[in-house]
Amino acid sequence: MADKLDVKQGTLALMVLRTLDMLGPLHGYGIARRIEETSKNRLTLNYGTLYPALLKLEQEGFIKAEWGLSDNNRRAKFYALTAAGRKQLAREAKEWNKTADLIAAFLAPKRGTS
Amino acid sequence: MSSLRETLARIAGMFTGRRADDDLRAEMQAHLDMETDEFIRRGMAPAEARRKAMIASGGLTQAAEAVHDQRGLPWLESLAADLRYALRALRRSPAFTTIVVITLALGIGANTAIFSVVRAVLLKPLPHRDGDRLVYLRHSIEGATGDHLLFSVPEVRDFRTGAPSLGGIAEYSPWWGTLQGDDDAIRIDLGLVTGNFFDVMGLSPVIGRLTNAADDGAGVPPVMVLTHGLWISRFGGDSTIVGKQVRLSGKSVTVIGVLQPAPYFPDRVDAFTNMVVSPHHVSAFMVQNRVHRMTEMIARLAPGATLAQARNEVTTVAARARADNKDSYNPASHYQVAVVPFKEALGEGARLTLWLLMAAAAFVLVISAANVANLTLMRGVNREHELVVRAALGAGAGRLRRLLLAENLVLTIMGAVLGTLIASGGVRLLIAFTERYSARAGEIRLDGTVLGFTFAVSVALALLLSVLASLPREGSFASWISAGVRRMSGGLRKQRLQRGLVIAQVAVSVVLLAGAGLLTRTMIQLSQVSTGLRTEEVLTLPVQLMDPGKVDPKHLLEADAANKVNYDLMRREIAALPGVVSVGLGSTMPLRTSMMSFDVAAEGRPQAAGEASPHVDLRTADPEYFRSAGIPVLKGRDFSTTDEMSAGHIVIVNQTLADKLFPGEDPVGKRVALTGEGLKFTPFSSDWRTIVGVVGDTRDGGLDADPRAALFFPFSQELAVTGGLVIRADSNVAALASTATRIVRRIVPGVPVEHVLTVAQIKDQSVAPRRLNAELISLFGMLAVIIAAVGIAGVLAFSVSARTNEIGIRMSLGAGRGQVEWMILKEGGVLLAAGLAVGLMGAYFAGGIMRGLLFGVPPHDPATFISVGVMMAAIGIAACWFPAIRAARVDPAITMRAQ
Repeated sequence: MADKLDVKQGTLALMVLRTLDMLGPLHGYGIARRIEETSKNRLTLNYGTLYPALLKLEQEGFIKAEWGLSDNNRRAKFYALTAAGRKQLAREAKEWNKTADLIAAFLAPKRGTS
Repeated sequence: MSSLRETLARIAGMFTGRRADDDLRAEMQAHLDMETDEFIRRGMAPAEARRKAMIASGGLTQAAEAVHDQRGLPWLESLAADLRYALRALRRSPAFTTIVVITLALGIGANTAIFSVVRAVLLKPLPHRDGDRLVYLRHSIEGATGDHLLFSVPEVRDFRTGAPSLGGIAEYSPWWGTLQGDDDAIRIDLGLVTGNFFDVMGLSPVIGRLTNAADDGAGVPPVMVLTHGLWISRFGGDSTIVGKQVRLSGKSVTVIGVLQPAPYFPDRVDAFTNMVVSPHHVSAFMVQNRVHRMTEMIARLAPGATLAQARNEVTTVAARARADNKDSYNPASHYQVAVVPFKEALGEGARLTLWLLMAAAAFVLVISAANVANLTLMRGVNREHELVVRAALGAGAGRLRRLLLAENLVLTIMGAVLGTLIASGGVRLLIAFTERYSARAGEIRLDGTVLGFTFAVSVALALLLSVLASLPREGSFASWISAGVRRMSGGLRKQRLQRGLVIAQVAVSVVLLAGAGLLTRTMIQLSQVSTGLRTEEVLTLPVQLMDPGKVDPKHLLEADAANKVNYDLMRREIAALPGVVSVGLGSTMPLRTSMMSFDVAAEGRPQAAGEASPHVDLRTADPEYFRSAGIPVLKGRDFSTTDEMSAGHIVIVNQTLADKLFPGEDPVGKRVALTGEGLKFTPFSSDWRTIVGVVGDTRDGGLDADPRAALFFPFSQELAVTGGLVIRADSNVAALASTATRIVRRIVPGVPVEHVLTVAQIKDQSVAPRRLNAELISLFGMLAVIIAAVGIAGVLAFSVSARTNEIGIRMSLGAGRGQVEWMILKEGGVLLAAGLAVGLMGAYFAGGIMRGLLFGVPPHDPATFISVGVMMAAIGIAACWFPAIRAARVDPAITMRAQ
């Protein structure tokens, strides 16, 4: 349990967008599973974290929701990326990569200055 | 950008409510089912799988809450809940709610009403384009007379060339004329204006056009711009009026447009015309003579110029003009030109009165707020039990504070709504009131800004009340709860606050009452001023037969002779009416100011260097005038019918002029003459005239003004530039008005007959504005006293109920009823005395500020202050009496048993 991480709102939004970008329309359970798998189970998402985040993305117009049938014939709400969401994903990913590079450079083990 | 979108979605989300909740529940159920399926697929027993899935969800209710918070605007929803709760709580105590709402409504209503006036008259931007750039130039001479002068055309020219900071100078000359209708005629007030007038003023037409440079000069067609008021009242808002001809004083004038509604200034005006309407105004006389002053000046500051620059330049130009034209300016008169912002000049008459009323209204609000605060504090004490229970159930101090705020908001908003209703009922009255002071009265309305003010006041009050109701500090709740507190008495701090509020109420009431007292005494003093007439059974009937626009100067004498025949005809016919004692003729009605004013010289008394020559009002009178008006002849004789044109020039002076010219001497037989530059534009000669009599002074400039020096010429000897009849009857002279008016109309049809008033009515007009002042402030004062009395009684009653035990113990130990009563009275008396002391100090200051509104009463009039003090003390003691009696009725046995 000690290596489980809390997920931050902003990063969760990015994960959701990326998941929907890769896999296409998906229900809440599917999104949660996929994120947990991708994180190699280092993240767990309870409903109180996931669903407000989905609603917020929907309110911001990055994803849209529609009721449909799952693989095993259950009625579920499917979320799909919108055009605005795709753009937002690109923007966020770029930002994140930049930040990650920056942080990585700061945290890099000491080496002789180049 | 996305946050805006999110907010909009959240607002929308507040209304989706149940459907969205159901949707969410279904969605999470599906999630749970799929997860359960997955666990079963991995080989778990269904019940175990279900349990694991539930654990993984992290709690469905919490999740639903979290989503709910994301969906709507949680703070708004909880505010709505608070308000709903507050309404419920207030409905449970209807008496408290009613009293508080009514008290607040009175306070807020008074403030809303008065603020609507202050805003319209003093604060609102002018309807004129860039009205803040307009300035009014006021020309005056200092000294005993201190008169306001107009400007002559050469003087206006000085400023046009010498003061570049005045970007445009508009000229306005007050004039009048007779507007002929199909079957009647009215006298209208005119403004003769230069073509640039409206451009400088920044005003636009509603229809048609306004004057321009092409309308200036002598050889142009006469044109008229109607004011919005006259267009509506006389022409019924006829939109085809533009281009039509109207008959103005016998001349045909073209209406070119209708002006937007705008406050009139400097005088009441019905229509504007170009200068050519009055041949005199375009004559060489008018245009070239430096002391022929008939023009008002309003200027627009040039772009970038400041008021200070304009003041400097104007002072310099005026000083240079005086130095260059020494014979036109008597140095003893101390000529001055002031540059006043137009908005200030417009609000001048109303400023002091309105701020006084605003202060009075604010005071009433302070008192009502204090009362409400006291009521809330008392209710707060009774509610402590409830608050403790709520705290025990988990409400934090912040939450409780918010609850109180919601309650107070509901109260003040209800008060504001009711108060606004009261104010809207009073707006019409206020407009009528303000019309006496300001040209902008028509702009008074309860518009968005005024309502915004009302709303802001209500919210501020609610905040104040919530702060005053001191809640225990966060954390101290726990100790209460564990101590099992059922009810706490008002803490010391709270009692001190209540007492402070009562003292403030009494003090403010005293200030208001003192103000009301001073104004009432002013009104009484004024109505007791002697007019100078010995009777009030006098009817004045001004008839203007000579129309300045109509008469050809060459035939002036013939026209005047014909007018005099008509005047005589009127006099004889009216004198024959039953009940009429005598009828006199004169240029000007008694108690009215003469339009003609001159310098006067006394024979054998050379004017000392540096001494300004005395100013007199010129009036004419026939042999019946003084007798009919009831003006006593003090020395010498009255005019007589034998004073024919040929009998040599004779005059009568009034007491004021006699004292001024011949102090300590008998003026009869001495000679005086009109003098000064202005004389040559008038039909009056500068011949020496012998004084034959002295008459008593009359209050021609209003009851509150000193009598003016007046010189009477015989009516028959001089040109009747103005005229009218003075009718004396043995009783009920007012009843003669319509018959007399009919006679005049028959003799001179088409001549406007207006302002037919008895002396009593004229006097009443002079007192009326002050009476209204006094009545309004007295109303506020009464309101304040009643509220304050309720406040004292309430606080003492509360104190009695909090001290019931103590009183019971005292009584069982042998204290008599009288002693208990005295104890409570003393408690109230201390508050009352403190309030009185503070209030009288406040009244002392207030009196000083009000000085300008008083007449015949010193601002610190001891009689007023003493009676106000006694009155407040009496009411206050009466208010203390009820709780004191209640305290004395405490039955010790019952109180002790209840313990």
